[in-house]
Amino acid sequence: MSWAPKNKIVVPVDFSGESESAIRTALEMVEDPANVQLIHVLFPLDVISPGVVWGEVSEESREEAVKESFDKFLSEWNISGVSVNICFGDPGLEIAEFAEKINADLIVIPSHGYHGMKRFTLGSVAERVIRHANCSVLVLRRSDAD
Amino acid sequence: MLKKRLKTLCSVLVLIVVTGGLTGSLAGTFTQDKAPESSNQDPEKSVEKVENEDAKTEEGAWKRFNDRIDGYFKKINDGIKLVLFYEVFGKEEKTVETDGAATNLEDVRKLLDKLKETGIDTVETDLTLTLPYGTFKNLSKKERKDKLKKMVIDFRKEFNKGSRAFTIAINTKDKSKNVTTLKGKRNGVPAAVLWLVLGSIFFTFRMGFINFRGFRHAVMVTAGKYDNPDDEGEVSHFQALSAALSATVGLGNIAGVAVAISIGGPGATVWMIVAGFLGMSSKFTECMLGQKFREVRPDGQVMGGAMFYLSRGLKQVGLGPLGFILAIVFAILCVGGSLAGGNAFQVNQSLGALKVAIPDLKGYEWIYGLIMTGLVGVVIIGGIKRIASTAEKIVPAMCGIYVLAGMAIILKNYDKIGDAIQTILESALTPAAGYGAFFGVLALGFQRAAFSNEAGVGSAAIAHSAAKTEYPVREGIVALLEPFIDTIVICTMTALVIVITGAYQNPEYASHIFGDEGAALTSKAMDAEIPNFKYLLSVAVILFAFSTMISWSYYGERCWVYLFGDQSSLSYKILFLIFVFLGSIVSAKQVLGFGDIMILAMAVPNILGVIFLTNMVKRDLDDYWAKYKSGEIKPFQKKS
Repeated sequence: MSWAPKNKIVVPVDFSGESESAIRTALEMVEDPANVQLIHVLFPLDVISPGVVWGEVSEESREEAVKESFDKFLSEWNISGVSVNICFGDPGLEIAEFAEKINADLIVIPSHGYHGMKRFTLGSVAERVIRHANCSVLVLRRSDAD
Repeated sequence: MLKKRLKTLCSVLVLIVVTGGLTGSLAGTFTQDKAPESSNQDPEKSVEKVENEDAKTEEGAWKRFNDRIDGYFKKINDGIKLVLFYEVFGKEEKTVETDGAATNLEDVRKLLDKLKETGIDTVETDLTLTLPYGTFKNLSKKERKDKLKKMVIDFRKEFNKGSRAFTIAINTKDKSKNVTTLKGKRNGVPAAVLWLVLGSIFFTFRMGFINFRGFRHAVMVTAGKYDNPDDEGEVSHFQALSAALSATVGLGNIAGVAVAISIGGPGATVWMIVAGFLGMSSKFTECMLGQKFREVRPDGQVMGGAMFYLSRGLKQVGLGPLGFILAIVFAILCVGGSLAGGNAFQVNQSLGALKVAIPDLKGYEWIYGLIMTGLVGVVIIGGIKRIASTAEKIVPAMCGIYVLAGMAIILKNYDKIGDAIQTILESALTPAAGYGAFFGVLALGFQRAAFSNEAGVGSAAIAHSAAKTEYPVREGIVALLEPFIDTIVICTMTALVIVITGAYQNPEYASHIFGDEGAALTSKAMDAEIPNFKYLLSVAVILFAFSTMISWSYYGERCWVYLFGDQSSLSYKILFLIFVFLGSIVSAKQVLGFGDIMILAMAVPNILGVIFLTNMVKRDLDDYWAKYKSGEIKPFQKKS
């Protein structure tokens, strides 16, 4: 991977502080902020939740809510000009597939640095992205990770 | 997306159908008579052991397969029971014996007199008559079974006018011993039930009888007077209550109550109602906390429930490590509860009621198991939303029909109402055998009420946390209606029908009474009063079971996801489907036991954690109540 400016960078966002630093890192690598493609992956709709059975929760309403969350998140951190994408499915797979689809040069992903039991049970989205991605992946270590 | 889901569902179903089909074909070949009545009469399984010996040669693989699974359930049950169901007080046991086989009434009468001399009261105790191994050895298996059944009915008529269990067993442990023993045993109060009772009393006092003073406000909020559509959350107050009710109104209301009355006597009704009333306070406290400590995700969906308030809430009061442990324990038990009480029990008991309407189903229970597995699978894995919504929305209508039918039966027997109420009150307040038995009946009433309305168990907080509201207290107040509707209205209706019709002491229903087949008992009792009601009840019962299973699968899945992460959801759903099938083939006694244990066990970490959070709840409640009383909180009005 060369350090020359990138055409397209994918940044998975889970609305945590780590996501913000990943976006900042990506922004430093591109000339046009529109080349930073943010993505949030939602798990498929659970049809047995009260919101679906009794209320009006649907894939559309969730998508709408995530868009609002993106607006709030980006304005809170004063980030503008980036592109926002929403997908449904397994996060690791979807991120890799999305990067391939848009011909991205790089995926910048924060690692939560879970260890022990939590790592075993929750696994790591970063790990799955590395396994499935066709392009380079930059994993940012958390400053407090050991 | 849908295609992918259907593909997954198909592969799961094929897996279950293949296993089910294999065992099923064995059933078709070998099954003659599943779950012999007489085996249920024996807590020590001695009779069953004799049956099993025959089964090896006569009935073969299917029966052995069933027995083995039943055996595993029993082992798990006994293990957990040892700790949680340790009987705290009131337990008493005495045994007397006589030479030879005491098979006639006169011999047993003598034994009973002997038992009385030991000081134990024989009116309120469970009696077990154990005959020597050689008894009836020259009879064929079928004759022996008929003989034992007849003996139970005769002996019950003679010695046991009330409702205590009378069991006949054959001693297979010591084959050389030629004596008959008569054991009298009075059950004590299980530790977990005592914990639940004390918890609900504490919450009622600590919250200043919110169950009483909050009732009117609860009705108003549920009616939608305070609904603000812009509040954060997924559903309205009414919808959240409906979702939680669909989990609680199930076979517990029909089967559980009938079981309580048949083994504890009519007096259990009173304690069930008291438990329902006190449970309203527990429910308020836990559902308020569910709202307060919920997590709203970026997509607007809500995650909440006991695991969240235990971990987050206790952290806030400086008990982080305890909260972490309690949340994990709760989540594990809730997964167990969802598989047992929220699943296998529902399948098992609804099957019991269906068998009353379609007796030919006997021996082909696995077919029902497969159909249910398929239907639940289509919803929880296939993601077919419409089936879940339709079933859940028919349930309130079914509740209405059930309550109306109950009222019709009560009115039809209006001349017996006075006597029935007198019997209920007398047997609740003045049990013949003093305090020990008094607490026994009380414990039974509370246990069945908790199983049905889930107050203190912590599960409903998962559903209530989805409600849109500005004030967590308000959702707690809505939740207190749940034990009222579930226990004080619906359970009481079943109880009155069982008492007024006398079904709980009708010798004809002995096999249902001793086999813990509560739904079958209720079905027969109602059918005798309203001809052909058993068909309608079967439909209602299947719908209750189905909607309860769907709702509980959500509870279980939330806890599973809490433990193992979002991506693990499918593995839970597959496990859930396996238990749907198991529920159709395991005996009612073991399934009820397993369900009871898991659901009551959830109350242990839940109530413990909630106690530490009561000060916080009380503060918020006082604050809300003051605003409500002063008129600061007004019904919601749309801005024009």
